[in-house]
Formats: sequence, C-alpha cells, structure tokens
Amino acid sequence: MTALTEFSIAVQKRFGRQRLRKFILGLIPFIVLIALWEMNTAFVWFDPVEIPPITDVWEAIFWLQSDCPSFMAAVDGHNGCQLSNNVLSSIGRVMLATVVGVPLGIGFGILAGMNRTVSAYLEPIGVFMNSVSGIAWIPLAVVWFGVGWETTLFIMLNTIFWLLFFNTMMGVRAVPRVLVQGVQTLGGSHLDTIRQVYLPGAMPSIITGGRMAMGFGWRALIAAEMIGGDSGLGFMIFVSASEFKTEEVFLGVILISIIFLATDRYLLVPLEKWTIERWGLVWKPT
Amino acid sequence: MTTADAAPVRRKSLRRTLSDSRAVQLIILTIGVFILWGIISSIIERPDRYLPSPLTTLISSADLLEKGVLVSFYSDTLTRLVIGSIVGLLMGIPFGLILGLNRTIADMFYPLMNFFQSVSGIAIFPIIVIWFGNSNTTVMIVILYTSFFPIAFNVLSGVRAVPMRYISAARTLGATRFQIIRDVLLPGAMPSVAIGSRLSIGFAWRAVIAGEMLAGQAGLGNMIFAGQELDNTAQIILGMALIGFTWILLDHFLLRPLESDTIERWGLVTR
Repeated sequence: MTALTEFSIAVQKRFGRQRLRKFILGLIPFIVLIALWEMNTAFVWFDPVEIPPITDVWEAIFWLQSDCPSFMAAVDGHNGCQLSNNVLSSIGRVMLATVVGVPLGIGFGILAGMNRTVSAYLEPIGVFMNSVSGIAWIPLAVVWFGVGWETTLFIMLNTIFWLLFFNTMMGVRAVPRVLVQGVQTLGGSHLDTIRQVYLPGAMPSIITGGRMAMGFGWRALIAAEMIGGDSGLGFMIFVSASEFKTEEVFLGVILISIIFLATDRYLLVPLEKWTIERWGLVWKPT
Repeated sequence: MTTADAAPVRRKSLRRTLSDSRAVQLIILTIGVFILWGIISSIIERPDRYLPSPLTTLISSADLLEKGVLVSFYSDTLTRLVIGSIVGLLMGIPFGLILGLNRTIADMFYPLMNFFQSVSGIAIFPIIVIWFGNSNTTVMIVILYTSFFPIAFNVLSGVRAVPMRYISAARTLGATRFQIIRDVLLPGAMPSVAIGSRLSIGFAWRAVIAGEMLAGQAGLGNMIFAGQELDNTAQIILGMALIGFTWILLDHFLLRPLESDTIERWGLVTR
C-alpha cells in the first residue's frame, strides 16, 4: 500500500466518502473558472480593463488600505482606510436596520396576526409595499432624505419590515386556537398569550422571514448605496466602475457575496435549524 | 343531537357584515390613504418637492399621457420583462433538468450556482456596464442573470422530488430514458416549474426596474430616476404607483392562477 492510498483512505474516513466526493466535485468548476481567468491574463483574450488579473484584484485590497496607519485606525474609521470603511459602513447599516426593523416588524406582525381588523388594513398596504420593490423607493427616498445614510437605512428598513411583518403574521395565524385558549383558561393575560404562545409558535416562521429579509435587504442596500449613498460597498463598486477601476469592482462584488454567504451560512441557517428544532411544532414551510 | 340545536342562531347586523367585508375594508383603506396623503401634503412645506398632493400627481400623469411618453415607457418596461423572463426560463428549465437528472453534474455545479446566486444581479451591474456600456444589452443581461437562478434551483428540487418508484415503474414497463423524462420527470416537476417561474418573474421585474434606473434606458425605472433628477416628485410617485399596481395585477391575475392551476393539474406527486 502506497502512502498516497493510505492518505486517501485516512481522509475518506475522517470526512466521509460522500461529503468528500461532493466537496471535490464542487471545487472543479471553481478551479476551472480561476484557471480560465488566469489564462485570460496570460493570453489577453479580453482587455485588462474588462477582466483584470487576479493579482490586481488581490493588490487592490492593499492599494485601497494603503493610507491606513494601523488596525485601530481602521476600526475608528480613519479617512485613509477606504476598503475597511466601506465594509464597516455597509455592515453597520445592516445592523442598525436589523435593530430597528426586526422588533417593529415582529411587533406589528403579532398585532396583525391576532387581530383581523388590524390585518385587514395593514395587509393591503404591505402587499403594495412589497410590490413596489425596494429599489423603486430609492428616487423618492433621495428626494426625502438626500444622499446619505438616511436613504440607505430607509430602503433597507422598508424591505426588512414588510417581509418580517408578513412572516410573523402568517406564523401567528398558524398557531392552533386550542393552545391559546388553553393558556387563557389557566388565567393567562393577553401578554401571557403573546409571550408564551404566539411568539414561540411563530418563531420558526419569524426566523425564516428574517433570513429572507436579510437576503432581500442586503441586495436593496447595495442598490441604495449605488444610487443614494455616500459610502459602503455598493457606493465603492459604483464609483470604481465609473472610473474604470475594474479590479476594485471585482473585489467589491466578491466581498459583497462573501459577506452575504458567510452571514447566511454561519449565522442564519444554524439559527433557523435550531429554532425549528426547538419550537417547530406548528409551522409548516409554505 | 346536533351542535346546531345547541348554538342559538345569531344574525349578524348589517353594520357588522359591512365592516367585515374585505371589499369594504379595502375601499375604506384606499380612501383613508388618499385623505391622509392629501392632508400631509397640504401641511408640509414645499409639497411640490417632497410630497405632491394626489391631484397634482394625477394631473402630471395626464401631462405625461398627452406627450405619449407614459405609454411608451410602460410598453418598453413590459417588453423587457416579457423577453427577459421568457429567455431566462428557457435557459433555466433545461439547466435545472440536467442537474436534476444527473447527481454528479448536480454535485459539480451546485456550489458554483450557490455562489453566483448570492452575487446579486444588482451587484454585478457595474461590471456589466464596463463590458457593454449603458445599453439595452446591459439591462437584458442583468434580467437574465437574476431570473435564471430561482427557476433552475426549483426545477432541480422538483425533479429530485419525483418518487423513485414512478421512475422504476416506467422503466419496468420498458420506457426509454427520453420517455421517462417526458412522461414522468417533467410532469412530476411541473408544480416546481410553476413556483420557480413565478419567483423568477418576480426577480426579473425588480431587475428591470433597477437596470433601467442604473443604465438609463427608457422605461418606468428610468422615469422615476429622471423624476428625481428633474425635481419632479409627482413623476416619481406616479411611476412607483404604476410599478406596484402592474406587479399586483400581473401576480394576482396571471402568475398566481397559473401556479395554482399547475399544482392542481400536475400536483399528484406527494412530497
């Protein structure tokens, strides 16, 4: 037995044959794509302005951070740290929108789920708001709030709020009446039913809505930064594109998707799984 | 003894019936929104700039209609949506089918597709602009890119959801590979195709608006963007209302019935 087969058997035992196969197969297109990209640099099929070399994209990180004195300065948002400033400002906006939008969306969603009259009036507004996609709000938001963080925050809030509202409402409605009446019979107040029955019962639906809201919100945020922003990754790629600095655009696009993928994969998906395991008794995915 | 005997029949009063009816609630809501809108616009300073009254918005639509721009914008946007979503579906359905048929190919391309799906169409917009300029091609590519993934993923999961025993049964009866695809897998995946199509067209609609806005191609998206640059807020609100209502009508009267009919007709496959 050669060392190679021994090694491969050890790896297969460690990670599992099927998972290993999937991983390697999934890696192939990426490798091919990167090889093609590199070959383009070597043979210049396309102009570097159209498709920049990989090394240039990598160096753009340092080029953008070149005026940054130290790590602490980057955290403080020093003027020289262009890349980290833009990344931080995008992430900061997401966090701010989450902190404001999530409680609002859940609150109104529970209210609408419990009360038919409230939902009768809020639901059509929500349907309309969702139909006017987040992007279509950008011009009006720019007129109202000017170019800057208020506009981007408004766009993102608008997207997050309605998605969460709808999902919470659906989740609350799916809670069986029996459970609510059970708590009421035992002398539970309105607040008790919300805290003990509606909120846990709707939790899986809320988290799924939150994941959706994150996906749509992130897209809307990038678009809003492009048109009505003065900082952030969307702003960065838009400005770089107008100056034909393609390597910065590629870097920005890759960062945008990596940040989204990482948040989704390592934060929201585990959260969703855990919630469904913990509370997933009534809700079925639609 | 039936429950009907026990429960006394209570007749609803007319007022209650009216206030419970969806149509009445919708009418009240619409009137209320317009009144609120009118009040707000009469209170704030410079309503022309921030929130023109409903009447002003309507008058501006008459103005745009007279010039013939509104109709041409509208038809431009719809044409883009129809062409873009049809081409996107024609590309996505076969791709999803191939991925659903062969596990090796699916394992190979799934991570790649996942990665590119998370690169939203709007984010790649600047790159496409560098490649093709501010042209109609740019808008079309962004539409195709965004509408491709939802349908491909849905077809893939639809084909996978077809129970193995149907395929085995067809095979036992001597069906060829092609016949299995045509008679078992495609009808079995039909509900997913319908759901994916609706999702795809929804994404395409957003992409049309965003693409027109950013690439400056004539259409509803450009109309609201130009409204902002020209300080013509009435035009923005009119455009937004048109965008919203078009999507509601499209979704409610075309896509949703199509989806539910398909599920009713082909939704035999239990999941």
